[in-house]
Amino acid sequence: MLVRDIMTRPVVAIAPDMPIDDVIVLMGQRQLRHFPIAEDGRVVGIVSDRDLRTVGSAHPKSRPGVKGSDPVRDLMSAPVWTAHPLDPIDEVASLLRAHAIGAMPVVEEEEMVGIVTSSDCLDALIRMTGVGGAATRIEVELPNRPGELAGLLTLIAEHGADVASVLTTRSELDVAGFVLRVGTIDGRGLALTLREAGYEVTWPPERTTEEA
Amino acid sequence: MTAGGSDTAAAAPARFLYHPDLTRWSLSREHPFRPDRLQALYELLTAWELMPDGAVLAPSPLRAHELERVHDPEYVRAVRRLSRGDRVDDPRRFGLGTADTPVFPGMHEAVREVCAASVTAIEAILSGSTRRAASFAGGLHHAQRDRASGFCIYDDASLAIHRALDRGWRVAYLDLDAHHGDGVQQAFYEEGRVLTVSLHESGRYLFPGTGHGYELGTGAGRGWSVNVPLEPFTEDAAWLEAFDAVVPRALAAFRPDLIVLQAGADGHRDDPLADLCLTVRGMHDAYRRVVELADRHCDGRLLILGGGGYRPYAVAARAWAQAWAALIGRDTPERVPDAWRERWTEPDGTTPPAAALDDPDRYPPQPRRALIHGHVRAVARRALARLEPIWAETAVGATPTQEGTA
Ligand SMILES: [Zn+2]
Repeated sequence: MLVRDIMTRPVVAIAPDMPIDDVIVLMGQRQLRHFPIAEDGRVVGIVSDRDLRTVGSAHPKSRPGVKGSDPVRDLMSAPVWTAHPLDPIDEVASLLRAHAIGAMPVVEEEEMVGIVTSSDCLDALIRMTGVGGAATRIEVELPNRPGELAGLLTLIAEHGADVASVLTTRSELDVAGFVLRVGTIDGRGLALTLREAGYEVTWPPERTTEEA
Repeated sequence: MTAGGSDTAAAAPARFLYHPDLTRWSLSREHPFRPDRLQALYELLTAWELMPDGAVLAPSPLRAHELERVHDPEYVRAVRRLSRGDRVDDPRRFGLGTADTPVFPGMHEAVREVCAASVTAIEAILSGSTRRAASFAGGLHHAQRDRASGFCIYDDASLAIHRALDRGWRVAYLDLDAHHGDGVQQAFYEEGRVLTVSLHESGRYLFPGTGHGYELGTGAGRGWSVNVPLEPFTEDAAWLEAFDAVVPRALAAFRPDLIVLQAGADGHRDDPLADLCLTVRGMHDAYRRVVELADRHCDGRLLILGGGGYRPYAVAARAWAQAWAALIGRDTPERVPDAWRERWTEPDGTTPPAAALDDPDRYPPQPRRALIHGHVRAVARRALARLEPIWAETAVGATPTQEGTA
């Protein structure tokens, strides 16, 4: 998945000479946490709700002497980390983490085309884990050699169930772990079929029904 | 909305929706969903003399196009065609012809009858002729607007709730099935006059994968979708504690005119499809609580539906006998009649237990009991922390909250 698939657009950008007090009002109205600051369509800075909260406070990160009536230029972070629409999201997520920032403007050919936030990355991750379609979690461990996963998926298809997603949880020399989300309510019935075919199913657990 | 308490309604018997047609269908040979468990339940209640004269009520037909209130016309058309053997392009896009929901002749009529039963049950309450009714054939809470899901083709619960909304009633839908009540939640996710509360095994482990604590409802429905996702192997005590922490508060905040209970019995520890570890004793305690809450909040008005339950006789029929006994204010005998146990052996050949309530000594405690209990407690606390501020806002404003538009 790429940045262009998850970014928010259009972007609400503000001019560098807007008074900080006005930016605070705008941020409240729009329920946004980041504003890129643009001049002639080009990104020159970014300001977050956290930056705005420090104005006039004793917060260690506040800029001394900056008042609410000053232009936002005096408060903004610059230069800005930017993303490209074709960046993979893991790349963007690692930049956000490494620099402890919450959002990056997305820039293509020097023009701002969107904004991508850590929440967008998290949402994408949730989507990738297959939330959405009604499904059951199946965990398997397979010998780590070509064709094993294909064989498993074929067997599930023959069982009559759709696979909503596949995640790799570990990949070691001789064994690979997978989490599948499969479109059936009867995960145990499917697990039984897989176990009978020799697969190592680690969820749902095998269980015997004791009797009175 | 409602007419005041009438003594005739209070004295009128609870109604038990029953007709042989509700028990005779099945999705396929050896399918885990066994509608004949309703017949097993009926026979057990009769053997126990818990079926008063005048209790049994047969379903009345639905209105024309009533299914289309909660389902896409195209989907209903596809079910109808497949039901009579006509071709449909790619039935799998409707969730039909799958491992879970195979196509079978007469499927439309069979499940429409289940819907008719639940709608007839709620009408008995809406008309004031009784305050309590049960439609154990119903509770098909996974059916989606445009597709079958999780053995459920049509959503009888939502159809019934719509009848109550037509009269201006506020409905609290309480779902105790092991699986999240996704179909009903989705049907009323933006509706401020329907509260849905679901206690279920976490979607992280179990179908359908939804029912997270952050699913709260939107628009006028914000705060009125309540989800309590539980750890696998949750036992009676932790489950009841989660119930007690969340359900009474939600009902007090919402102030329903009627409670609809989905009493899915697949949370039982012997159920082959899910991983909760309840016993019939714990379920019995929950049913008693629901009846008390109905008395406290809505003049006793309560509709009980069935749901999941894949030990169909040994667990589902035995558990629902407790639900019905609670509904009519009686206790069951302590022993299950031997003749019934022999007649209703499980599909795997085992005989149902002799004890009406599960003997607690029969089951050793789960090894991670304390850890699981602690997690369940944390989940319930977090649910309230999210919801109570929203409820407080609603109560103060008196008008439904509307979220700002983006
Ligand atoms: Zn269920």
